[in-house]
Amino acid sequence: MSKPLAILENVTTGYFSEVVLKNIDLEIFPNDFIGVIGPNGGGKTTMIKVLLGILPLFKGKVTFPQGKPNMGYLPQISQIDKSFPITVRDLVGSGLKTERSWFPHLTAKQKKQVNQMLDEAGLISLASKPIGELSGGQTQKAFLCRALINHPQLLILDEPNTFVDKGFEQELYRWLKELNKEMAILLVSHDIGTISPMVKTIACVNGTLHYHPSNQLTEDLLKVYNCPVDIIAHGPVPHRVLKDHEI
Amino acid sequence: MSEVFSILEYAFFRNALAAALLTSLLAAMVGTYIVSRKIVFISGGITHASFGGIGMAYFFGLNPLLGAAVFAVLSATGIEWISQKGKVREDSAIAILWSLGMALGIIFVFMTPGYTPNLMSFLFGSILSVGKAELYLLLVFFALTLAFFIVFFRPVVYTAFDPEFARIMGIPVAFFRYTMSVIIALSIVISIRTVGIILVLSLFTIPQITAMLFTRDFAKIMPLAALWGALGSLAGLFFSYFFNIPSGAAIIFFLTLQFLILKGFVLARDFFRRDEKVIA
Repeated sequence: MSKPLAILENVTTGYFSEVVLKNIDLEIFPNDFIGVIGPNGGGKTTMIKVLLGILPLFKGKVTFPQGKPNMGYLPQISQIDKSFPITVRDLVGSGLKTERSWFPHLTAKQKKQVNQMLDEAGLISLASKPIGELSGGQTQKAFLCRALINHPQLLILDEPNTFVDKGFEQELYRWLKELNKEMAILLVSHDIGTISPMVKTIACVNGTLHYHPSNQLTEDLLKVYNCPVDIIAHGPVPHRVLKDHEI
Repeated sequence: MSEVFSILEYAFFRNALAAALLTSLLAAMVGTYIVSRKIVFISGGITHASFGGIGMAYFFGLNPLLGAAVFAVLSATGIEWISQKGKVREDSAIAILWSLGMALGIIFVFMTPGYTPNLMSFLFGSILSVGKAELYLLLVFFALTLAFFIVFFRPVVYTAFDPEFARIMGIPVAFFRYTMSVIIALSIVISIRTVGIILVLSLFTIPQITAMLFTRDFAKIMPLAALWGALGSLAGLFFSYFFNIPSGAAIIFFLTLQFLILKGFVLARDFFRRDEKVIA
């Protein structure tokens, strides 16, 4: 097995003096597809911020054995001001590192790259539209394009299945499966049932982190790991099969 | 018509015209950032806090514009600091700053011995008395701001839109946030001369929302806002001269009138377009 892309060791962190994550360990290998689940406020997004290097640690360390990887990041769309006057093209362009640091505009080559990305995602006809005019699925796609345009080695997605319809969700998962051949993916969701069939392994974050080296989860396992999430069974129509269990 | 041209022979009116134009162009750029980031209320706080500086400068016999600039910059960077720390309710902090600035201004002006004739001009603007020196100051500041926006357009827009992502991309977000706060503060203070403290904010918002009737692209809102701002300001200035009313109020009135007419135009256009679609 090749060297990991990123290692979190004994990481404790939070906001101001409030501890959100305590002593968590995680290794991310190339071609991993990790589903990160856990209740709201359990620290899923906080763990992402640790990986992205935008949150200082109280304790522990984050290392990148292969050098700092290129990371693509799709934030929770609810955190974004969709009425901001920015076009789809500029949004995707914002995912590119600037090549000229003293006059940071996009080069002609980068503009072409943006158009190519939009074309692949089927968004090229919307390129000049402000993001406020997109549907939920189109918005997620546009932000995914921004995350992908830098050819990341590690793609981090925070709740990409909110505000989207089932059709788009299926399309998204097919796309991610394809992308997983080239990059490691960390997919955060509060809805384990939807993501468990597609991820390879599962990390349950609820203050602490428990790692399951498979995508099979049972109610007992969740109880043991103190991970209060719903399991939704998959058939022609997704339905909830288990009662909510107490924390 | 000849009357319109004849007033152009007066130096004071030419100065006023240049000041109105430059102010509206400056406000178009900076206001687009303010409206896009939805920090109109913050900008209002900065504007009114600057009155404290004016009052203090009067009391100590200093240049009032300097006092206003110091107060505005301190409050702007202070609010940015508070919002980054996220520990205090930002809107409450702004409200305190807003009224405290006005209160300090009134107290110091009241304590200043003798009559303070220019006070009204700070509240309502006095564009017809703008001098050469002030005009040059305005021109230099406008040129610097324009250069900043041309060079750093991308990072400025990205940090305004999604600061967290900008940070991940390696953009020095704090630098751009604070620099923009200072630019906002100084732009407001420098524009106070034209329309006054009470009305200045409209110069930074009305042309922008007028432009946003036609586009939702940051890069296009700026020039469009400049166009509507310049048109409204010039119309207001001429109107105020011939009807002998305060110029600041006339400018704001024309900017608003322009917005309402164009809004009506857009509504009518959309209405008829919808009809066409139904027929088709």
